[in-house]
Amino acid sequence: MAENTLNIYEKKAEEMTRVTMITSDDLFRQTEGGFLSLDAGGRHYDRVRVVRLFPFSDANKYLSIREYENEGREIGIIEDLDAMPGESKKAIEHQLTLSYFTPVIIKIINIKDEYGYAYFHVMTDKGECRFAINMGSNAVSKLSDTRLIIMDVDENRFEIRDVDALSHKEKRMLDMFL
Amino acid sequence: MILRYDLPKEAENKISLSSGEKIYYAVPFDIDENGNWTKDSYIVVTTLKIHVFSAGDVRTFSISDLESAKAEPGVGGGVLTVKMNGQHRVLAHYSSGHLSRYAYVARGINILISGRFEEVISNEYEKICPHCGRVIPGTKTCPKCSGEGRFLGVFLKMAGPYKKHFFWIFFLMIMAAVTTLLNPEVQKHLINNVLKEGGDMKTAMIFLVLMFILSVSIVIVNVLKSNASARLGSKIASDLRGQLFEKYQKLPLSFINDRRPGELLNRITQDTRYISDFMADVFCNLFAVFFIFIWDVIFMLVINTKLALITFILVPVVSVIMISFRKTISRIFHLQYKKNDDVSSDLQDVISGMRVVKTYGKEKEESDRFKAVAVDFALIQKRNERFWAMFDFIVSFLMGMGVVIVVYFGGLDVFEGSMSAGELYQFITYTLLLFQYVGWLGRLPREISRLTSSLERIYDILAQDVEEEASDLKEFEIKGEITFDHATFGYKSYQPVLEDINAVIKPGEMIGIVGASGTGKSTLINLLMRLYETDDGRILVDGVDMKDISRRSYHSQLGVVLQETFLFSGTILDNIRFSKPDATIHEIIKAAKLANAHDFITMLPDGYNTYVGEKGYTLSGGERQRIAIARAILPDPNILILDEATASLDTENEFMIQKALERLTSGKTTFAIAHRLSTLKNADRIMVIDGHHIAEIGTHSELLSRKGIYYNLYNAQIQN
Repeated sequence: MAENTLNIYEKKAEEMTRVTMITSDDLFRQTEGGFLSLDAGGRHYDRVRVVRLFPFSDANKYLSIREYENEGREIGIIEDLDAMPGESKKAIEHQLTLSYFTPVIIKIINIKDEYGYAYFHVMTDKGECRFAINMGSNAVSKLSDTRLIIMDVDENRFEIRDVDALSHKEKRMLDMFL
Repeated sequence: MILRYDLPKEAENKISLSSGEKIYYAVPFDIDENGNWTKDSYIVVTTLKIHVFSAGDVRTFSISDLESAKAEPGVGGGVLTVKMNGQHRVLAHYSSGHLSRYAYVARGINILISGRFEEVISNEYEKICPHCGRVIPGTKTCPKCSGEGRFLGVFLKMAGPYKKHFFWIFFLMIMAAVTTLLNPEVQKHLINNVLKEGGDMKTAMIFLVLMFILSVSIVIVNVLKSNASARLGSKIASDLRGQLFEKYQKLPLSFINDRRPGELLNRITQDTRYISDFMADVFCNLFAVFFIFIWDVIFMLVINTKLALITFILVPVVSVIMISFRKTISRIFHLQYKKNDDVSSDLQDVISGMRVVKTYGKEKEESDRFKAVAVDFALIQKRNERFWAMFDFIVSFLMGMGVVIVVYFGGLDVFEGSMSAGELYQFITYTLLLFQYVGWLGRLPREISRLTSSLERIYDILAQDVEEEASDLKEFEIKGEITFDHATFGYKSYQPVLEDINAVIKPGEMIGIVGASGTGKSTLINLLMRLYETDDGRILVDGVDMKDISRRSYHSQLGVVLQETFLFSGTILDNIRFSKPDATIHEIIKAAKLANAHDFITMLPDGYNTYVGEKGYTLSGGERQRIAIARAILPDPNILILDEATASLDTENEFMIQKALERLTSGKTTFAIAHRLSTLKNADRIMVIDGHHIAEIGTHSELLSRKGIYYNLYNAQIQN
């Protein structure tokens, strides 16, 4: 009886160390409820979560697919999203845009600083928006020399892919925070 | 936090409410189903239905069809989901700003689903002003929107108790202004009337003495004034600090937890320091500068209107240049400061990780990396120092240029005879004064706004209503029956730690609490200790809602031993007596004996007078724990709480303490958290907490025969 339990634990530990890959044979679908379902290894999952393992350096490679229930157990890893068949890829991409909401700033319309806070008015790939950052904290972090992540007071993330691609005027406004 | 927004007309028209249907929550969501920003979309929760309004369309869900609702946080936002007919469904996506708002809404929906009609209210503050879009600096209302006259309001509130001091400083300020402005006037007379052909040394001497007296008085008045301001500043700051500290002790822990860590500390340390700094640096000159400035301008206009106007044109030019210089300076020094931070954190990293660096043989790589950071820093520093060295020269050059222009045009007037040489001299002095104070005044709005937010933050705490213990609170001898009735609680609104806890514990029962770490065991105990109050549901003690029992009476009948024992700086006697200040020596020795502490205490050279705490005698973990147990026994409590009381001890110590605890717990309602199940062998029932709920509850053998979580845990531990 006791041995049996131990086996369960051992099996669990064993399972945790195994790396399972998800291949193009496995089928992802967008559910009616607005989630992502998966059929893999002969099993159907009503709802799975997609987690980026390298959200900054490789956003579309190495995606961990996890169960929604069962303490978020990992079902497998997708090595390269682009290698997935069209239908699955579209469904996963859609889920990613929603669960990783990080608007990319394409144009800085204005930055105004007032008493310790800076107010950004920008155009992003998700539409125009305004947000505020705390100038005292490390709101702007550099991923590389030209790539920035800006965290606003609500902890929303905004990305600037390439600072050098901004106009001279925009760069000057941004200069304060670099 | 607002949970019921005003709906736009369009939404109001589209959403048709049936009779008896009442809107509870109406909150916007800002991301559409394709992941783009959206506006004017709302989730409207009524007593009967959920209406999702977006892009002119309304989708409606009946609350009675739903099984549960959940606000799931993600990266940069979250999603509100419901479960209906066994299927999960997305209702809305929103950005991070709405995370906690939706947590409240989800909680509200779940309450409605369970058939109750309580409305969830949030005491959290908004971070962004819903009217002007500005960030609210940790206060209830937006300082900008609650009126421009705000500064005067809070300032007077602060100054109120110190009227006498303020009048004295005010008087000194006027004196400072008068003496400063008088000096050039005397100098003018000296030049015009004395230093000319026919002037005599005697009158000159009188003027010199007068000037000397004025200069000395300027120094004396200014020293007095600065002194008085600084003294008053630190007095106000220290008074406020005391008031804040007192308030912190009274505020419920949940209030403290709603605030970011460090923020409350900052209010005591930084905000009050800012007030004393403001008083010392800014306030002491405030009215003096205004006074001087206004009279300066008037005198200049009176002496020579044309020249004054020319100078006034120069002033903004000079000040704009100076302000932009200052901005650049603060920017580049900010950069230097950051780089400096990089260097020191890098250094700290490598030095504290020296063993790892050496074992992997990475000395070369690490030193190369450090060199790169250091070179970077040196470059910036060099550039900044160069700029800084120029700054002073540029400022004096600009002021000098101003004077040159004044001298040129003034000189023309002197030649023409429309102005005397003395007047020109006086005028130049006033011009310099003007330049000096323009820069100062330019900084003023920023300083005032900083002071205002500091004061607002302080008064925000001081004005906080502490639930004064109502006089009708019950005091009675607790027998120890505890009932959890739908108790729900989370430290953060959007992350419930315990959900819907229901259990009845009989008086004198010992309950062992088991579960993986992070499941809410300690939270349950925090609720029992009344450090927090339940968000929903109740905890009853002997059939009385815990909230209706006087805190003092409840806590005096509660004994607590935690894993990490906190001993105050003081003697062992003080520490044991902490739980019952009026205990006799006899009672204390008895408690120490019961706790197996008496023997080791007698072996210490200073006995019960041994000083412990941060700088005192170092006791072992077991000894500290036994003192804590003596402290818990002393008031003879009827409810006992043991949170991993023996986890950090070795086997022998554990045995001694187990013995002490056995004596302690007999006949008392006891809650004991333990990882090692062997320590719970005396427990009447075991409560297994998993996934925010009570997963299993029952006697040892009941739970074993159930073959659930406890069964697995038990077997795994026996095997080891």
